[in-house]
Amino acid sequence: MTLLHLLLTLLGTVALSGIAWWATTGFALGQLTGEVERDAGVLVQAARLGGAGSVALSLEARLAADRSGTQYFLLAGPDGTRLAGNLATAPQQPGWARLRLEGPETAELLALGAALPGGGFLVVARDLAPVRQLESFLLGAAGWVGGAALLLGLAGGVLIGRGVTRRAARMDAALARVEAGEIGHRLPIRDGGDEFDRLAGRINAVLDRLQGLMQALRQVTDDIAHDLRTPLTRLRQRLEAALRDEAGWRGATEAAIRDCEHLLEIFAALLRIAQVESGARRAGFSSFDLSSLAATVAEVYGPAAEERGQMLETAIAPGVTAFGDRELLTQALANLLDNAVKHGREGGRLRLALSPEAVVTVEDDGEGIPEGERAAVLRRFHRLDAARSRPGAGLGLALVAAVAELHGATLTLADAGPGLRVTLALGPSRPGRGAP
Amino acid sequence: MKILLVEDDAETAGFIRRGLTEAGHVVDHASDGPDGLHLAMGGGYDVLVVDRMLPRLDGLGLVRALRAAGQRVPVLFLTARTGVGDRVEGLEAGADDYLGKPFAFAELMARLNALARRPPMAQEPTVLRVGDLEMDLLRRQVTRGGRRIELQPREFRLLEYLMRRAGEVVTRTMLLEGVWDFHFDPKTSVVETHVSRLRAKLGGEDQPPLIHTMRGAGYVIRAPE
Repeated sequence: MTLLHLLLTLLGTVALSGIAWWATTGFALGQLTGEVERDAGVLVQAARLGGAGSVALSLEARLAADRSGTQYFLLAGPDGTRLAGNLATAPQQPGWARLRLEGPETAELLALGAALPGGGFLVVARDLAPVRQLESFLLGAAGWVGGAALLLGLAGGVLIGRGVTRRAARMDAALARVEAGEIGHRLPIRDGGDEFDRLAGRINAVLDRLQGLMQALRQVTDDIAHDLRTPLTRLRQRLEAALRDEAGWRGATEAAIRDCEHLLEIFAALLRIAQVESGARRAGFSSFDLSSLAATVAEVYGPAAEERGQMLETAIAPGVTAFGDRELLTQALANLLDNAVKHGREGGRLRLALSPEAVVTVEDDGEGIPEGERAAVLRRFHRLDAARSRPGAGLGLALVAAVAELHGATLTLADAGPGLRVTLALGPSRPGRGAP
Repeated sequence: MKILLVEDDAETAGFIRRGLTEAGHVVDHASDGPDGLHLAMGGGYDVLVVDRMLPRLDGLGLVRALRAAGQRVPVLFLTARTGVGDRVEGLEAGADDYLGKPFAFAELMARLNALARRPPMAQEPTVLRVGDLEMDLLRRQVTRGGRRIELQPREFRLLEYLMRRAGEVVTRTMLLEGVWDFHFDPKTSVVETHVSRLRAKLGGEDQPPLIHTMRGAGYVIRAPE
């Protein structure tokens, strides 16, 4: 990673230097070429107007004024002999050429040869040294910059790498503590909020979820152990009594079968809640007529309400559709109504309502649930002390809560003054868009 | 009836076999999937009772293989897995009915009778008749001895369910599933209430009763002797 970063930095520096080189030296060379062309043009013009003599004079003047000593000229007569200028010899060919001066001072020249009107030949040249200097300066600069980038990149890479290693080690250590059983321990998160902190936040959220699930699992195990022991003990007592009392074996056997059925129902309810909580049922969601479902559930529980002398009122908006699991929602509504019948006042009033916005409300006029207990009754096996004497295992509302969560619905328990009002807000039907 | 029972738990198998034999049926028993499939392929059974979880080849696989081979014999799945999705899965594999363990023996018996006597999918009748009771399925009208009987939609479905199985015992659970679409027992007397209301509407003062209660089993509709 660090190496790749370094390589890219280096590549960028080289490319940038190349571009700078190409632009700058090209510009300098262009300047030089322009000067030579201009000089040659002026001198050829001078030859046309004043002959070779005036060119010679002009050359002398130019050479005298050239302090930098980078200008070179040669004026040759029609016979090829040198007439003026500081170049000893030069190939007398028209057009551009590169010359090399040897001797005490070597120099590389850019030369332009031109035949003069009326005979003779002119060579105008410039020393390429300034361009070469510029080039070597740029090369040096590129070297320095490249070197510096390399060093900085290397140092930065090492620093970042060490930072990454240190933070990864810290996360690793924190996770090791969680693995060792310290399930409440969490990864450190800095205020900065970079990718590492986001990752740590995500891992912490996953750990929170795991911890929640573990607690739920432990709770269920405890609950099962506790709540199944009572009916199993009763069953065993019954069977023992039947062994001693042969006359009563038939009644005892029937009672034992009833006990078994009760136990099996508890198991079935627990399994169903677990299945719903796993979320696997979401794949089977579909659109269905919630109004007719509500009406059916009201019809099925009507006789039960009648037996307790209760009036079951319904206010079901027609044609309401819901998107979800029809069977589970049937069961959830059934549980709510079953609770209302069981816990409502004998001879009292019950109400089942469905609004056009798919909000189901079930009300009874019993003792209700104290505000502090409302969250607890949604847990498995939780029963109010007042309800201990009545039938039921305390799983009904736990299933409703699980079904509500599966559907992304809001489940609210409130005071119906007197009694309990349960609201299940399913929200608008969402066919085709999947579960919320 | 000749019944093939595929069940690996010896105790459950013994219990079912004893009950069915006492009721006068002939029972063959296989205790794993491949044996069951082999026997079933031989044909000659009126109905199959198949446990879902079997050694070597599970119930789903057995029924799928049977259906793939063109065997149309009715199959009832018997299973401890009564999750909501499991029933649908079983029916999709080609089973005709699904019964969760534990079950009452009368329930199993009623369902097997219903399956074995299911008529081949020939022409759907448009009129059902039991004695002088007539149900016109197209006009959705019910008459007894020519007298119109007004029924609520649910009562109509209930009567239709019974009349389609005239002469067979129909259990409370079958009615809850078939008429109310309830796949669990709500433990209310909704079935009893509706049946007694239906009885009252069907029976005049001097007319013999049509719907009979079979104690501990369910209901049956049949023409008076």
